[in-house]
Amino acid sequence: MKNMMSVVVALVLCVLVTGLPAQAQDFSHIEAILERLDAQSRFDNTDFSSVLTMVVEDVEKGIEKMVVRQFRRDDGERFLLLIQEPVTEKGQGYLLEGDNLWFYDPSSRQFAHTSLKENFQDSDARNADFGSNSYSSSYEVEGYLEGTLGNFEVYIIDLKAVDDTVPFPFVKLWVTKDSDLVLRTEEYSLTYRLMRTGLFPKYTKVGDVVMPVQMVFIDELVPGNKTQISVSEISVSDIPDHVFTKAYIERVNR
Amino acid sequence: MFLTMKVAFRNISRQKKRSFLLAGAIAFGMLVITLMNALTGGVVGTIRDNFSHALGGHVFITGQEWTDAGQMIMKIRPDENLDRLLEENAAQIEAFTRRSQAMPTMIFGSKQTMQMLYGVDFTEEDKLLDSLVVTQGRLADVLVEENAVILPQPVGERLGVQVGETILIRLETLTGQQNVGELKVVAFIEDQEELGLSAAFTSRSYLNTLLGMDQHEYQILNMFVTDLSLVDSFARIFREGLRTPDEGEEEAEPQVAVMVAGVPLDPLAEAEEITPWEGTRYRVMHINQIMEAVELVVGVLNRVGLVIFLILLVVTMVGITNTFRMMMIERTKEIGTMRAFGMHQKQVKNIFLWEATFLGLLGCVGGLVLAGVISLIVGNITFDADPSLQFFLNQGQVVFDVSMASVIGNTAIVVLISLLAAYWPARAAARMSPMKALSSHT
Repeated sequence: MKNMMSVVVALVLCVLVTGLPAQAQDFSHIEAILERLDAQSRFDNTDFSSVLTMVVEDVEKGIEKMVVRQFRRDDGERFLLLIQEPVTEKGQGYLLEGDNLWFYDPSSRQFAHTSLKENFQDSDARNADFGSNSYSSSYEVEGYLEGTLGNFEVYIIDLKAVDDTVPFPFVKLWVTKDSDLVLRTEEYSLTYRLMRTGLFPKYTKVGDVVMPVQMVFIDELVPGNKTQISVSEISVSDIPDHVFTKAYIERVNR
Repeated sequence: MFLTMKVAFRNISRQKKRSFLLAGAIAFGMLVITLMNALTGGVVGTIRDNFSHALGGHVFITGQEWTDAGQMIMKIRPDENLDRLLEENAAQIEAFTRRSQAMPTMIFGSKQTMQMLYGVDFTEEDKLLDSLVVTQGRLADVLVEENAVILPQPVGERLGVQVGETILIRLETLTGQQNVGELKVVAFIEDQEELGLSAAFTSRSYLNTLLGMDQHEYQILNMFVTDLSLVDSFARIFREGLRTPDEGEEEAEPQVAVMVAGVPLDPLAEAEEITPWEGTRYRVMHINQIMEAVELVVGVLNRVGLVIFLILLVVTMVGITNTFRMMMIERTKEIGTMRAFGMHQKQVKNIFLWEATFLGLLGCVGGLVLAGVISLIVGNITFDADPSLQFFLNQGQVVFDVSMASVIGNTAIVVLISLLAAYWPARAAARMSPMKALSSHT
């Protein structure tokens, strides 16, 4: 009888041990969600422009308001961010041309190469936050849980970067089950320390694209530092080609 | 010749006050130029030493390679060729260190600051530990804690952190990924952050982990050489020995951007587009390249000093000419007598020229002695100066270092100018008719 019990326990263990990884590896529906997230964040058929109002809270420097005009053309991976406020930074701009991101400073009239991984000005937003998502190509699913966030039923998805080209090696997403909206993100360092939390409480639909119109980025390393971004004056009208050029940034400053 | 020299020396001794004033004027000029040369020479040496300590060596080797994703990163892997070169040139290497480096944001509570951080192997960095001036804490603790950090005092004050507390550091890996580490503060040190050389130190293995490197990898190989005069040729040996076949012929020495307070003294031209390569390519730089900018400034100072010296000498020269004309008039009868007793014109001229030479030499000796005394006194005073000035000082003291070549050169200039000043009065004295001289009333 004792032997029989041992065999049963061993069999159950075998099933669990062999079955669990198989179950854990089946992330196809989560991967499909990531693909949908990426697809619905891209303006493939239209241009996009808006005004971003950013409130940057820094415990040392205080609160600063920034107004940035954004132009996006995802077909060709281009965007232009032109700072309009504060006056001291007016005219500074970020131009993305494929893999190259340029920062223009009107005081020196120079373009400097920068990176999507860098923070935008002194805010907690990153330059990459102003483009489309690429979760499905940059990350692989490590695991997921089902849970709730407020009144929403969500998937809590653990992602791991497929290579070292993305700034955050580990990301956790809270995605609504019914509408594929990212409500919250957590970004972790290589040592798996939480670095930044993103909250996306409000979305709008612009054509086929679903985009957050309110974003909050919280610096988890420096308590009290956070940046709130509101998106307004949204337009999908065609933007002239010359807007996505260095000459345009220089010209608008004259 | 001996006779003329003897007469000349006697003439100088006869008019002690006048000779003292003339030699004094020359001595003052000599004092100024000697002190200027000694000070600039000492400053160059001190800055070179301080740079070497701050940068951790005289010759610096960095390695660059491309990742699979097409990113160029700076790191040196264990390399047999490099090890062989180190072994072959061991006789010329006093010490060498392997370091990693990063510019992380250090965070303590809600305060943050960016700070240069070196990852060092404390067991092989005796020179570094000896050179650090501890203001609080104990350097010995770096060997106890894996994530220990030595912080410059101003950085600690800015963060409001105390010895024994832990700070966070936010940095990027070599490939640009975000990473966060924790460092335990074990000591505060003095630094020269105004000159852009402020540095914190932690263990290389811990920093490597945060940078995404293996334990045995590093970013800079620093070498102290036994003979600084051979540093150029020593660097060339490594440059040639580490060049891969696809790098082509030897190029000019790599340019070095010297930063002062974070601003390049001589900004490099914008880099051209680079074609990726296989394996590691090395860059070998040495302290003299970094010192070029400093030596340029010192060279200008020395030239300014030389101009001041020459102006002083020209003024003195006018004085010497006038004095010698006066001496000639005073000694007209004496010259006539000497000429009557058979002294040649040339000998009369030589008496005057020897007098000028003796005056010049006396002035030089006086100036050198005065400069020596002043250097000795000032060089023994320990200044509790601002940290930025400490960079020009050796243990708080001014170092004077004058080269024998400059002393000989300056003396030669003084003697030459004195001779030039005395030449016309001497020639006039020599050409004087003995008859007229003897009948003169002066």
